[in-house]
Amino acid sequence: MTAASRLDAREAARMAVERVRSGARFCWLYADARGEAVRLTYVTDGDDGLEAFTGAAGAGVDSIAERVPAAYWHEREARDRFGVAFTGLPDATPALPPPSADRLRRGQGEELSVVLYGPVRSGIVESMRWIIETAGEDFVHVHPAIYAKRRGVEERFAGVPLEVAPLVAEHVSGATAASHATAFSRAVEDALDLEVPPRARALRSALVELERVHQHLDALAKLAEDGSLAIGAAQLLAAKERVHRLLAEATGSRFARGVICVGGLRDDLAPPLLEAAERGLDEVERHAVAAVEGFFGTQSSMDRLIGTGRLAPDIVRELGGVGPVARGSGVSCDARLRDGWLYTPLQGDEALADGGDAYARARVRAVEMRRSFRLIRNALDSIPDGPVRSSVPVREGSAIARVESPQGELLYYVRLEGGAPARVAIRSASFANWPLFVPSLPGNIFTDFSFIEHSFGLIHAETDR
Amino acid sequence: MTNWIWRGLRGGILATRYPFEAEAMPPRYRGGVQVLDGAALEEYRRGEEACLPRALTLEGGGARVDRGRCIQCGQCQRVAPNAYRMTPEFELALVPDEVTAARERLRARVAPLGRSVHLRHVDAGSDASCEQELQALFNPFYDLQRLGIFLTASPRHADVLVVTGVVTTAMADPLRLTFEAMPEPKIVMAVGTSACSGGIFAADGDVVGPVDRVLPVDVRVPGSPPAPLAIIHGLWVALGRATAHAREAVR
Repeated sequence: MTAASRLDAREAARMAVERVRSGARFCWLYADARGEAVRLTYVTDGDDGLEAFTGAAGAGVDSIAERVPAAYWHEREARDRFGVAFTGLPDATPALPPPSADRLRRGQGEELSVVLYGPVRSGIVESMRWIIETAGEDFVHVHPAIYAKRRGVEERFAGVPLEVAPLVAEHVSGATAASHATAFSRAVEDALDLEVPPRARALRSALVELERVHQHLDALAKLAEDGSLAIGAAQLLAAKERVHRLLAEATGSRFARGVICVGGLRDDLAPPLLEAAERGLDEVERHAVAAVEGFFGTQSSMDRLIGTGRLAPDIVRELGGVGPVARGSGVSCDARLRDGWLYTPLQGDEALADGGDAYARARVRAVEMRRSFRLIRNALDSIPDGPVRSSVPVREGSAIARVESPQGELLYYVRLEGGAPARVAIRSASFANWPLFVPSLPGNIFTDFSFIEHSFGLIHAETDR
Repeated sequence: MTNWIWRGLRGGILATRYPFEAEAMPPRYRGGVQVLDGAALEEYRRGEEACLPRALTLEGGGARVDRGRCIQCGQCQRVAPNAYRMTPEFELALVPDEVTAARERLRARVAPLGRSVHLRHVDAGSDASCEQELQALFNPFYDLQRLGIFLTASPRHADVLVVTGVVTTAMADPLRLTFEAMPEPKIVMAVGTSACSGGIFAADGDVVGPVDRVLPVDVRVPGSPPAPLAIIHGLWVALGRATAHAREAVR
């Protein structure tokens, strides 16, 4: 969709709040500066799809975080990076209890201690610092200190020729490179009113769904490992490896990097992808399904997930959660239901669970993985003939696009100037979901931490950017 | 209830024999860049201009590849197929001109231990794919333990520091502290193009630069991300154990 409306930022904020009041979901707030003038865009998702309200921030703007807590971290970013003055911006996310509110309730005499966990942690994990307040074994409050991995990727896009700019998007989160490259390319294509050939759409769909398969297997393998289920974890990781091998055979990259571009695909991947799928997709699926079923058939592992890290649907809605985290709490939010870019849409087939715990989130991933295999086959079985790329005109323009990445809804805003991006803003699924980590922890104990963390499946690289 | 023992046995042995026997990536895999002879200067230039991380430099009528900067996108081959060709090569590890003293000392120390070594990993600002490829080293296809290589949580027990990602401003100190906490002899391996050279990222307010801006790096394993086989090769080179099937690194 294109961001067209031009208002004052106060007016834009007011309209966004109104939309949220009438049932729309708050998605995003981003700033875009041209010279001194900063413009804010509020993005909501309702019955009519994404809606964007843009206005000049010159005279300052009122914070909407008290009314729309999901906007809180977006306002913080706009303030810290673009100097936008938000009147009444609270000190902490309004929907969450402030740190140490429990201190009084817990009575005097019980000391809370603060544990700094990270950014360097054990195992092969991304760097992230958590500041944990605890009274011993249980979590009282957790404050994730994001931005340790901030590399300035959004800024890196500026002036990069469109021909290679999707490679920058692949560096936002290399593990979900196909989703990021597709979302970036989709935003540019919308800004340029560019039609993508059906053959390229089918291939992109297949690549994004294959990505969902390997990332869901990754999340489930980590949960199996957390419960010391060594053989289960090994088989889940082996299943994931088979997906990477199929991708390497077909695309030349184990993460399908370097193949998606503005206008479609760089090369016609249909022959190698069909050949690799013909030879190996059945086996990949058989191993993946068997490993996942084995995992869910292990009661001792399930016991660690059931009831762990529970999230009520209300808090998910208030803080704007997306992806398997939202769906695990029964909150419908799958961009594939409505977005026309997919070659084979989901057709109302959303994976929902209602437990809101680590088990429900794992279950959602398991169900989605099986459906992804079906979507891959649908895309490949009826692959249309024709070109895989449209020629890209040089024009100004701006647009927002979204893709359902494995972690959830991924949004890109791109403004083009002179044939290259002038501003790219990214609302990743992990950025939307990490604030939900905080309310999921109290009531759980230290040994639950890794189960909850891995049930969220956050990618810190795309949170910090 | 799942019978994991039966399932594990039924799965059979999947592990590669690499580095004791040859391994190959699929023919389409984009590992290294080969500069072809005899193309027009214009073609070499077209490839050089298309390269986002500036891994190519024009030199004496041809071009030179800085392997540590390449992100394996294949754009040079697409725009100038007569000048550049992507190869499925994965043995891409780079070492400094001199064999570092640290590598020599480590080699001497691990010899009597049956060459068992422990790795400590630090993410200095990666894109999250390098971690997944490191994790893959422990899946049944690569099974790093078969080579006597293990992960450790404590830097006090670590011999090799594996660093992924370009070093961000916030991660420079934690990275340094981890290195300082390791006992001698210790070696540092930069895994991934961003860690090796910064890749597409230049030093600015958010980014300090490649790992060697902060620590002495003994072995660099480029790749975006490097395949698990490439990382095994890098470890083999770090331990001074290149064999007939695992080529000695390029100096």
